[in-house]
Amino acid sequence: MAMKPIIGVLVGDATGVGPELVARLASKRFFDDLCRPVVIGDARVFELGMKIIGQKVPYQVISDVSEATWEQGIPLLDQKDLDPAVDFEIGKVSIKSGASVMNMISKAAELFLAKKIHGFTFAPFNKEAMKKAGCEFESEHHLLANIFGHTGPFGEINVVGDLWTTRTTSHIPIKDVSANLSVNTIMRAITLADTSLRNSGIAKPRLGLAALNPHAGEHGLCGREEIDVIAPAIAQAKAAGIDASGPYPSDILFIKAFRGDFDGVVTMYHDQGQIALKLKGFDEGITIAGGLPAPIATCAHGTAYDIAGKGIAGTRAFENAVKMTCRMASHMLAGGKV
Amino acid sequence: MKKNIVLAVPMGDPAGIGPEIVLKAIAHGDLAGKATIVVIGDQALLEKTAQDCALTFAFDMVVTTDEECAACLESGPDSILYHHRLVDLKKFSYGSIDGMCGRAAYECIAQAVRLTQMGLTKAVVTPPLHKESLKAGGIASIGHTEILGELTDTVNPVTMFETLGLKIFFMTRHLSLRQACDAVTRERLLKTILACDRLAKNSAFDQTKPLVVAGLNPHCGEHGLFGDEEMMEIVPAIEDARSAGVDIVGPVGADSVFHQAKMGKYKAVVSLYHDQGHIAAKTLDFDRTISVTWGLPFLRTSVDHGTAFDIAGKGIASSISMTEALSVALRYLKAQGV
Repeated sequence: MAMKPIIGVLVGDATGVGPELVARLASKRFFDDLCRPVVIGDARVFELGMKIIGQKVPYQVISDVSEATWEQGIPLLDQKDLDPAVDFEIGKVSIKSGASVMNMISKAAELFLAKKIHGFTFAPFNKEAMKKAGCEFESEHHLLANIFGHTGPFGEINVVGDLWTTRTTSHIPIKDVSANLSVNTIMRAITLADTSLRNSGIAKPRLGLAALNPHAGEHGLCGREEIDVIAPAIAQAKAAGIDASGPYPSDILFIKAFRGDFDGVVTMYHDQGQIALKLKGFDEGITIAGGLPAPIATCAHGTAYDIAGKGIAGTRAFENAVKMTCRMASHMLAGGKV
Repeated sequence: MKKNIVLAVPMGDPAGIGPEIVLKAIAHGDLAGKATIVVIGDQALLEKTAQDCALTFAFDMVVTTDEECAACLESGPDSILYHHRLVDLKKFSYGSIDGMCGRAAYECIAQAVRLTQMGLTKAVVTPPLHKESLKAGGIASIGHTEILGELTDTVNPVTMFETLGLKIFFMTRHLSLRQACDAVTRERLLKTILACDRLAKNSAFDQTKPLVVAGLNPHCGEHGLFGDEEMMEIVPAIEDARSAGVDIVGPVGADSVFHQAKMGKYKAVVSLYHDQGHIAAKTLDFDRTISVTWGLPFLRTSVDHGTAFDIAGKGIASSISMTEALSVALRYLKAQGV
């Protein structure tokens, strides 16, 4: 039988729901069937998570992954960089916690490059805290790409249920979306979806492309992007052996997708996919760091300051993120690429 | 004896699935005992449809004059067919564009409007029309809402979506996404908000909740970082509306606002472009997305799907939307104390 992958579990920003999510999953022994987990963070923050959920979970403090036995409790790589007693308050942005998150990300990436872990799942970060702690990148994905020295296409992939979504454009003004659509930019999003789905073990992913305009432009009556760039991009993808179809009116595309017609959806702008995904799976959605060399996933929700520290945070999305990381890592271990 | 609420239902385009879904909705009897459905249509055509689709022709009564109709309503039946001879079955076939069918569909709407304006029926609930059949029949108006506007001398009737209690207004409809962005101006949005607020005074809306405006850019532009319409146009329009006494909040990011509205936080959502509201409504429940027309002298609800010529006469069309349109009309009328 194949060995279970070793997966880093990052406790995330200590001011949010991360510590309690990680403690909760450890207390449920959620990881056992999926992987060999290694918690990455400060041991005192993990203790805090246990206190919040009111459960004691045995853990083994290690200073290197090679020490992990998975027999003396869940292994924890102690960062020793954040003290809950003095460094931060739950529910408030903390520079020290942001700095600890930066250490966590560097550590996880370093362990992956050293082949000591096969992928990692992180609990929610706080972008503002990371920025204040000196992170000069617009997102953790950009930071990771920089650490990995990755220059190829990468981007956020949103997953709800079995449906994967990539975007052609993301955080730009919506009035600039049209000008940013080209056969090349759409092909990048198609390729990202296709490659990532293949890397998760789906041999020939079926992709549905969203139109930009109402009713897919009605043959140019209300918008021409479908004719001018989206259809040509689909033709190019097909020629490259990718099972892509569309463009479909965006209010129909997600019905088809959630019915199971597609494995992946490629949208043209941020809200096009996010409206549908958040309505369909507010509590279960995850985000994959698509295109990067490592299997990395997180829950789609954030630090949830409104409920952090109360021990009531739902674990479904985080569980899904762990499952996905394990699925991608297992596929990689079995000889597939990431 | 307590009198039923009476709904007028024109049979729709005879060549499409309209007559079939009307017959099905009546046969399922979801509104039985709660409302009387007066279908305006051709008896021979409806009998043929019932036979071809293996449905029962289950009307409690068939009438041909207003007097008969009024008399029958006294006994509070579940359904009445108000027969008009409109279709020559020798020349009829399912699934084709036909001027005779277009005219028949138009005539049924005109009668439904007449009965409602007389006060015999309280609302009009419509199955689909076929635009090209209308045109072939010499009807100049391009669709349902336009016909109703003309028959009642209404300028600018307003379409709203209702999906399982989620109510969505649209600022613009069939504009390209690029043009829809240009249409987001302080003046135009204020006008839209004031119009929606007037309509939302109707007791079909939860008066304890505010209206909300959806954001235009991803995450509402994050303080101008990607898109400044929120700062330059939307917020000022909302403030103008508040000064004018409107209970309104926003803008709220489009990926959160519909989820929050679904949870009951708002009276209704003002969506800024076509697909924004359409993706939300249809993803939430495609079959139960109902179109409501405000501004007419009476309430009108409608299915949002088309005539589905490809499956007409086969008995396989789903009547969920038709039943939902009837239920929504009944619910609104009850809220209004009819």
